[in-house]
Amino acid sequence: MASCAGTLNGPYDSNDSATQENMQKTCCKDPADTSVLFQNLAPLTWFKGMVQHCYDYAIARKAAGAKIVGILCEYTPREIIMAAGGVPVCLCGGSLEMIGPAEEHLPPNLCPLIKSTYGYSLKKANPFLEMADLLIAETTCDGKKKMYELLSRRHPMYVVELPHKSQDPGALEHWVSELRKLKKFLEEKFDVEISNEKLRQAISLMNRERRLRQGIADLMKSDEPPMTGRELLEMKSLISCVPDDFIWYESARKDFSGRKIDPPGRSRVRILLTGAPFPHGAERVVDIIEKSGGIIVCQENCTGIKPLRDDVDENADDPLRAIARKYYHLPCSVMTENNERMELLRGLVKEYRPQGVVELIWQACLTYNVESFRIRELVSDELNLPYLRIETDFSQSDSARIALRVQALLETISNRL
Amino acid sequence: MIYAGIDSGSRTVKVVAIDSDGFEIVSSAIVDQGVRQREIAEGLLDKCLQKIRPSGRRVDGIVATGYGRNAITFADATVTEITCQARGVLAFHPGVRTIIDIGGQDSKLIRIGTDGCVRDFAMNDRCAAGTGRFLEVAARKLEVDIDNMHNIALEATRPSCISSMCVVFAETEIIGLLAAGEAAPDILAGVQKSIALRLVSMAGGKVEEPVVFTGGVALMPGMTGALSSAFGKTAITARMPQLTGAYGAAIVAAKDMGR
Repeated sequence: MASCAGTLNGPYDSNDSATQENMQKTCCKDPADTSVLFQNLAPLTWFKGMVQHCYDYAIARKAAGAKIVGILCEYTPREIIMAAGGVPVCLCGGSLEMIGPAEEHLPPNLCPLIKSTYGYSLKKANPFLEMADLLIAETTCDGKKKMYELLSRRHPMYVVELPHKSQDPGALEHWVSELRKLKKFLEEKFDVEISNEKLRQAISLMNRERRLRQGIADLMKSDEPPMTGRELLEMKSLISCVPDDFIWYESARKDFSGRKIDPPGRSRVRILLTGAPFPHGAERVVDIIEKSGGIIVCQENCTGIKPLRDDVDENADDPLRAIARKYYHLPCSVMTENNERMELLRGLVKEYRPQGVVELIWQACLTYNVESFRIRELVSDELNLPYLRIETDFSQSDSARIALRVQALLETISNRL
Repeated sequence: MIYAGIDSGSRTVKVVAIDSDGFEIVSSAIVDQGVRQREIAEGLLDKCLQKIRPSGRRVDGIVATGYGRNAITFADATVTEITCQARGVLAFHPGVRTIIDIGGQDSKLIRIGTDGCVRDFAMNDRCAAGTGRFLEVAARKLEVDIDNMHNIALEATRPSCISSMCVVFAETEIIGLLAAGEAAPDILAGVQKSIALRLVSMAGGKVEEPVVFTGGVALMPGMTGALSSAFGKTAITARMPQLTGAYGAAIVAAKDMGR
């Protein structure tokens, strides 16, 4: 499932099938990935073709009458869409190429993820966006909210109001009522009934997927992590609960146990990555860290562990309220005060035992940028770990400068030992 | 045993050779950076070693640092300028807690713990405001010799306010200030002040003395004063400020390879 992952080259990427074939033959270096695949593992091979699989799945479901629903954030409760017979697909853009076109309408000083997502629409380059019957979005950050106004000129869209006071019971009630309105809207729009039974089925599926993915991420707690952070990042999908994905999530946990990577995990510096998510195609910072001798043992972001932590109560009398509760407590920097992110980080540092924390901020992401002051304070003063903040966009121009800072951080950590 | 450090910076290349016994500098050399970075560094190393070993180049270990470090393919290892500056400055100024390094296109602030290890560091992102590049641009615009800049800045009565966070825009701002009739000494003092203030915001309010200022820009006498008043702390100019990075690299080479 997950998380903001866009389509770098689209499902028609000609390299895709060739790459897969190649990987089946030997252990080789994938051109799209800078980390060496140490051993040909079937789940990795499968997820390398993720965009294509999602495309095939969406086409088949649409042909069978299902509605394709584009989503743009982890706050969107996929369960409600699935209970309405819809297929939720993530549309977040990670392509640099889409930023130029987007700037015809949007200011340059805006988060690259927002611009890239919008650029796909202008260029009609994201087939999932083109086939979508509806987009569901939320009032998260100001940049997204205002971009949605323009995006909705070209695509049917429903915007859910997300309140921002995460600890306020009244705010949660408002979110519950917003999701009830969404449910009603979907029932009318798609002419279906969203029964509690259907909601519970969707909850059960989503819970299963979250647990399976969390189970794979758990392997990184080992002193000898059996995969790189980049490999872990690959094992997700634009569409949640694709039946075939379940097979590979299931086998990954088994297949990876005891696997050796080179250089071995034990000799690398363990890094926890926090901050903004990595849409598909924008994983450059992950690669820089892991090429410099680090290993990302945990990602506290929306393409990492953040959306996986909590299940939805499958036995709740009011499943919609249970869904609302889970999603409302995602600790995104749009929330104030976002104390739950601090709590989450404290817990993750205990579980994954990083030796340093790197925070990624997409350029002009106001909320993560300002919140980084609190993160630095937490990491350096309370958790007593080295902290490095990287603010960048999707272009390659500052890669050498980022590498320098990452290498200096790793040298600092090694000298401390 | 002789170890060499090469600091391949954006404006100049520096080589320092040390004796592993006591880490004394036995030879050093500086040359302008150019297109063929590897050849330039190799030639400079030869020249540096010629002074001490005329019979032929022989060195027991080389560490390269600086933004061009990866082009120095004949080095035994590469280490970042953060670590090398810290090692070099610490050797000259034991007990230093804050290092400010302003070079041709980088500015850095390195915090050192009481244990003599790097605690953390901050540096400029993509933009060259707050670096030597900014001084060069200003000097050119004001038609003054960069080596004489600080003397002219001393005549300032009211430093101009330069707020741009980008060198290109700062240049435009300087043109505007000239058009508005501001005096060149005031503008130059304003440029120095704006560089110092960039470092202050980089520091995020955490600066402990002793503060040592290094890098090519530390050769300009006015800058140390501008930093001291911006930080409200006493900054001292490092010994051999242009060479501390290369010196640190040589120390890393001696310590890591001499074992």
